[in-house]
Order: sequence, then structure tokens, then C-alpha cells
Amino acid sequence: MDQFLQQLVNGLSIGVIYALMAVGYSLVYSIMNFSNFAHGSVIMLGAYFGFYALTKLGVPFYVAFFIAAMATATIAVILERLAYKPLRDRRAPFLYFIITAMGASIFIDNSVIATIGPTPKTFPTELLPTFFQGDPLEWGALTVGRVDIAIFLVAATCLALLMIFIDFTKLGKAIQATAYNMKASALMGINPNFVIILVFAIGGGLAGMAGVLYGMKYQVFPQMSAITLKSFIAAVFGGLGSLPGALLGSVLLALIETFVSGYLSTQYRDLFAFIILIGMLVVRPSGIMGKDAEDKA
Amino acid sequence: MGMEYIQGIAILIGINLIAVLGLSILTGFTGLFSFGHGGFMAIGAYISAIVSTRLGLPAPIAFPAAILAGALAAGLVSVFIGKLTLNLKGDYFCIATMGFGEATRVILNNVDYVGGARGWANLPQFTTWWIVLVLDVAIVLLAWNIINSRHGRNMVAVREEELAAQMAGVNTFRSKMTALIVSAALAGIAGALMANYIQFIRPTMFNMAKSTDLTIMVIFGGLGSISGSIVGTILLVSLPEVFRNFAQWRLVIYGLAVIIIMVGRPQGIMGGVEMTPAGIRKIFAARRAKAKLEAELKAAEQGDAA
Amino acid sequence: MTEALPLLELKGLTKRFGGLAAVNNVSFKVREGGISGLIGPNGAGKTTIFNLITGVYKVTEGEIHFQGKPIHNLEPYKIACGGVTRTFQNIRLFKNLSVFDNVYTACHRSARYTLLDSVLRLPLYWKEEQRLKEKARSLLAIMGLEERMDISANNLPYGLQRRLEITRALALDPKLLLLDEPAAGMNPDETEHLMHLIGEVRTQFGLTVLVIEHHMDLIMGICDHIHVLNFGCTLADGSAESVANDPKVVEAYLGAEEESSNA
Repeated sequence: MDQFLQQLVNGLSIGVIYALMAVGYSLVYSIMNFSNFAHGSVIMLGAYFGFYALTKLGVPFYVAFFIAAMATATIAVILERLAYKPLRDRRAPFLYFIITAMGASIFIDNSVIATIGPTPKTFPTELLPTFFQGDPLEWGALTVGRVDIAIFLVAATCLALLMIFIDFTKLGKAIQATAYNMKASALMGINPNFVIILVFAIGGGLAGMAGVLYGMKYQVFPQMSAITLKSFIAAVFGGLGSLPGALLGSVLLALIETFVSGYLSTQYRDLFAFIILIGMLVVRPSGIMGKDAEDKA
Repeated sequence: MGMEYIQGIAILIGINLIAVLGLSILTGFTGLFSFGHGGFMAIGAYISAIVSTRLGLPAPIAFPAAILAGALAAGLVSVFIGKLTLNLKGDYFCIATMGFGEATRVILNNVDYVGGARGWANLPQFTTWWIVLVLDVAIVLLAWNIINSRHGRNMVAVREEELAAQMAGVNTFRSKMTALIVSAALAGIAGALMANYIQFIRPTMFNMAKSTDLTIMVIFGGLGSISGSIVGTILLVSLPEVFRNFAQWRLVIYGLAVIIIMVGRPQGIMGGVEMTPAGIRKIFAARRAKAKLEAELKAAEQGDAA
Repeated sequence: MTEALPLLELKGLTKRFGGLAAVNNVSFKVREGGISGLIGPNGAGKTTIFNLITGVYKVTEGEIHFQGKPIHNLEPYKIACGGVTRTFQNIRLFKNLSVFDNVYTACHRSARYTLLDSVLRLPLYWKEEQRLKEKARSLLAIMGLEERMDISANNLPYGLQRRLEITRALALDPKLLLLDEPAAGMNPDETEHLMHLIGEVRTQFGLTVLVIEHHMDLIMGICDHIHVLNFGCTLADGSAESVANDPKVVEAYLGAEEESSNA
């Protein structure tokens, strides 16, 4: 039982990171109906921004966190304006967007490798808030790293704030309306351009936060952009385009991965994400909380 | 730069060209984007390594059997992926291929029988300049014959307007599946040739970076052009040698170039056109017809005004 | 009097999206050889019915029969190959292909050669490709597009684009041609041309036509039978005169037009 609870806690701490990534991705997907395959690179940049804000700028952790989120939000919007908007204006086919996203992610990833270098960086614990330092907390046989608790609290708070924003504020409702039907909401006076920028900013910000937290838990390195695959799978698992689905899918994915890791073997942990994906596609492609979408002629 | 060096580059170009032609059919002509073709190359490489070294086949048969086995294995796996995702929205196929590429790498990393993460060395040197040349010619012809047939036209229809293609009686699922299987098998062949040329294979050689490398060759050459894919492959395989000093920045520039191409000139180098007499005639015919139409419209307008 | 089997029959057709019924219990018959019209205000469910007939949408309730056989919920390409083709409200040509290639591609249905035949360039491939080329060329000639053969489809003026879409739909040798607002964006002159074209196409190819339209002149001019929709439900069904004089139709649809033309 203790083993079970331990794995549960481990799983949750990575699950919320996946959730930040997956929700950011799903948010953009729900509005634009396209997958931003450069999402991973933005996550990676967030980790680097957070790292350098903490170590080079010497600001406290929460400020560094905020800076990272703001930086990635900005980058995401710039990416949208420079790379995606021209394609949207030309009504370019879906394929062009993916190719451009691929180009952007290659550009960003390799820029980091060429300038900063491929060696992984570790968040220095001395610079983190005192709570993060020190021995892991213990509850009976449960051991929980302080960083993991912090990650969970920070991520959970951000996700909760996001949900409140989406469900209860006027802007959030505007986003929901646009996700449902862009043309109709434009007719209702909601500026679709504005919503698109907002959504990319939020998605980018969430990605940045996820990057910092992931970098804190593990390390910061350019190839970490590959983690985005987990967020895509989590989003498909929960139902593409559904935010609660992304959240649910992420937590479930992380839990399954952790349990497989703990009880079977760590080697095959990453394989399980793929197995879940295949399983989902076979059984229910629309995901746990997804709905069937039919193309309109 | 000796003859051997040039021959080496030529062989690399030739091997990559096979995979690129497959991707050209899948992405350039059918409009499907795969993040995982490195995985199909890996399957081809590893299966062929097993067949050529562990099965105890006599030398003349070993290599052809290995290549065939690699192609078949890759093709079969692609059927599985295709059946699951090609009936769904495009995003699912992309994500599935990404997952597939990663999964292949993870599995190969953990199977000691094929060397695991450290790789498998001392594979036999079967790939020669002649074999690659002959295969290249055959596969260029294969790709050309597929594209210039109703099957190829249907694939292009899927790329252009999938819904309209269905309304025009095209079995879009079958077209996409055909493109996928052909591209996967060709990637498998390329992987097999690679294994028996470099004589060493390792899972990281076939990761997503390899997939995107191949896709970039298709994009630079221009989507929807076989001759473009050939040009793109020659350029991008030989360029790194030329720019060895700036190795790290090569990919930065490629990434930027891809964005600029997509936003500015998606037709790439060849302009979506084939460098053949027929292809060139087509461009000129299109220009002439357009000019004629514009002249007639203008004359009509002036006639109305008069 | 026994009535001939209708070419197309909708029985109690209903399509729901979530809670909303876009099409609600619609039934009508399309007689072979005629030109039928499907009219109604925007959002009445007309294109949805086309999408249901051509298999783009799955039917929630009801049935669709073509030549006496059920076709609802079949794969779209099978329905198209079976003799029902269509054009789209927002033109969906293969924009980057030439005019010729748009039609040439759609001719694929008349060919029987396999992938192997293509790859090995066996005699069957050559013979059939030649036939397809001739077929495409003759279709373009009949529809007056032969001169524009080499132009990229997106360089065609709007009216010719619509004509090309119809030509492409004809390449499959259909028995039933569904035209979704073919006169959209056309001036009265062009509409008149289109009217003649539709009539000629019907006669020359022995087709049955079902048209969705807003241009009342076109509908009244060529349709021998009209079905009126409003909010997804049948409002009226009958000959052009009976529909034009039906008070419900006048009130809901034609009447509104009169008002706007008086205002």
C-alpha cells in the first residue's frame, strides 16, 4: 500500500507538469484547430529563461518563474504573428502549418545548442526558496521531495487560476465562444485576432511554467523539447480540444507511467505513453472527454 | 578531395534519396506529415542487420534478402499505424508518427540482441556505389510511375482538397495508405542500405532529427516535385560537408529557411514542377493560357466601356 | 397510375448536431430526368441535406435511397462512384492544379488499371490513360473550357471556376448531379448562362439535377419540382407554380424577399 501511495505521489508531481503543457497545447488547438508542433521548443525556452533569471539576474524564484512565463508568452505570440498568421491569411493547407512549426522548433532548439551549448544545466537549490531546500518530507513510509511538493502546489495553483479564468471571466468566455465557433463569435463582437493572440500568450505562458518546473525537477537541456510528445499524447488521451480532458489525460498518463516505472521497469516508461496512444486510437479516438467532430462542407 | 571521398558522398546522397523519395510521395504529393520516418529507417536497418548477419544465409542472397526484409517489416508496421490514424484528422497521424519514432528508439535502446543503446557494429559492407545507383534509378522510376498515374493524381487530390476528392469518388483512405506504405518501405530500404554501408547502427541515428532532416530535403526541393526532391537531397547531403565549420548553425539556418520557404515560396526550389521537357512545357502553357485569359478579360472590359 | 421509381428518395431524414436538429424529418422524391430545386432561407438545412446524401454526414434518423437502394451512411467515395456527384457552395477545386488536371483526376473512376500496372507501365495503363485524356478533353470542350485547359484553377475567373467544378462533377458519369448554390455571386447575365448550361447538361448527359439556390429566377426558370425548407423542416413541396403560390412559402420566404425589395 505504501509503495502504491508513493507511486501515486510521484505520478501526481509529474502529472501536473504534463497538465500545464497539455492544457496550453489544447487551448491553442481548441481555437485554431491545429497542433502547434513548436510547443516543445517553447517549453524548453521557458526552462532556460527561468534558469538564467534565477542564476544570472539573481531574482527570487517566483520572479524568475514569472519572467519565464512572460518571456515564453511573448515568444509564442511572436511565433504566431511571424510564422502562422501569414499562412492563416493565405488559407494555407494544414500541412504548411506543421512544416512551419517543425521549422520553428528546429530553429529554436538549434539556436540554443549553438549559443548556450548542449550541456544540461541544473537548478541550484541554494537559489530556490528555503522551503525547497532540505531533506524530503516524510509521512510514515511516504517520502516526498520538497521540490515535488512545490511543483505540485505551483502547478495546481496555476491550473486552478486558469480554469477560473476560462470559466468565470468575460475574456475566458470569449475564448470559449471562439473555440466553439470563430465566425459566430466574431459576429457577436469578439475580435478573433485578439482571442488568437491571447490564447497563444496563455498557451506559451503555461509552456514556460511547465518548462521551469520540469527543469527544476530534472535538468535543463535543449533536447527537452521532446517532452512535448507527452503533452500531445495526454491531450489525445483526454480528448483533443478539451481542457478538462487535457488535465485528466495528463494526470492519468503520468500515473500510469509512474506505476509502470515503479512496478515493472524504468526502461519502458516512455514506451507506455505510446501504448496508451495506440490504445486510445483503437478504442476511442475522440479521447476520454472528447466529442466527435464532423467536417463541414 | 579524392575520388573515394566524392563516392562516399554520392552513396550517402543515393541512400538518403530513397527515403526522401518516399517522403516526397507521402508529404509532397499526398500532404501527410510524418515525424517518424526515422523509425521506419530504423526498422529497415535493424531487420536487415539481423537477416544479413544472424540468419546464416549465403552471401549472394543475404543482402537482397536483408533489404527486402527491411522494406517489408517497415511496410507492415506502417499498415498498423495507418489503419489507426488515417481515418482521423491530420493531427492524429502526426502525433502517432512522432510517438512511433520515439517508441522505436526506446525499444531498440533496450533490446540487447541488437546491441541496445550502444549500437551494433561490424555489420558487413554490402552496399556499393553500383547497388545504390541501380536502386536509385529503379526507385526514381517507381516514384515517377506512381505519381503519373491515376493513383498519384488521387494522392494529389487528397492533398489539395480531401473532401472534394471524396466527392470525386477517390477512396482517400486507400490513397493515403498507399502513400504511407510506399514511403515506409522505401525508408526501410534506405535504412538497410545505410546499415550495410556505415557498418554500424545505433538507435540515435534514427531519431526525430533524422525524420526532420529528410522532410527538410523534400521541402527545399519543393513539395510535389520528384526532381525537386532529388535536387533537395543532393544539396542538403553535400552542404554539411561544405559548411563543416559552421556545423552548429547549419540547422539553425535550415529551420529559419523552412519557415521562410513556407511563408514565402512553398514551392521550394523547383516550384512544384518537374524538370522534364513535359514539365517545362506545362509551365509555359500555363503562363500563356493565363496571359491569354487576362488579355481577353481586359478586352471585354474595354469593349463594355466603349 | 403507377409512378416510376424515384431516382432519389429521402424518407424521414433527420440530422441532429448535439441538441439541434439541422434537418428534421424531411422527406421528398426526385424524379429521374427532372431538375428539382431545394430552397429555403439561410440555415434552413439545405447544404446539410446535400452532405447527408453524399455521405459527408451520418444520418441521425431516416433513410436515403438512390435508384431504390439505401445509400445513407455509405462512404462518400462509394456514393460518388455510385452515381451521385456534387459541387460546393464555397468552391472546392484543386486550386493548384490546372483546369485539365482537375477534370483528368476525376476521370479516374473510368479506369481499371492497378498500381502494379502503373509501376510497371503495362499496356493496360497506356491504353486507359489515353482514354482518360480524351475523356477529360472532350468534357472540357463540351463545357467550353478547352481553351483554358492549361490555366491553374485558382487563376480562373469566378464564373469559370464554377463551371469547372460542374465539369469535374460530370467526369464521374453521374446519374444525379447536386449543385450547391451554383449561381452564388453571379450577375443576372451569368445566371442566365448558367441556367442554359444546366438545362443543356441535363439533356446532353441524361442526368437528373437537384439544385440548391437563392436566385429565384434560376429556380423558377428551370425547376419542374421544388422542395422548400425552413428551420430544417419541410415547408412545401410541389411544382414551381404551386410553391410560388403557397401562402406559407410566400410568408416565410418569398414574402420576406418582397418586403426587402419594397423597403
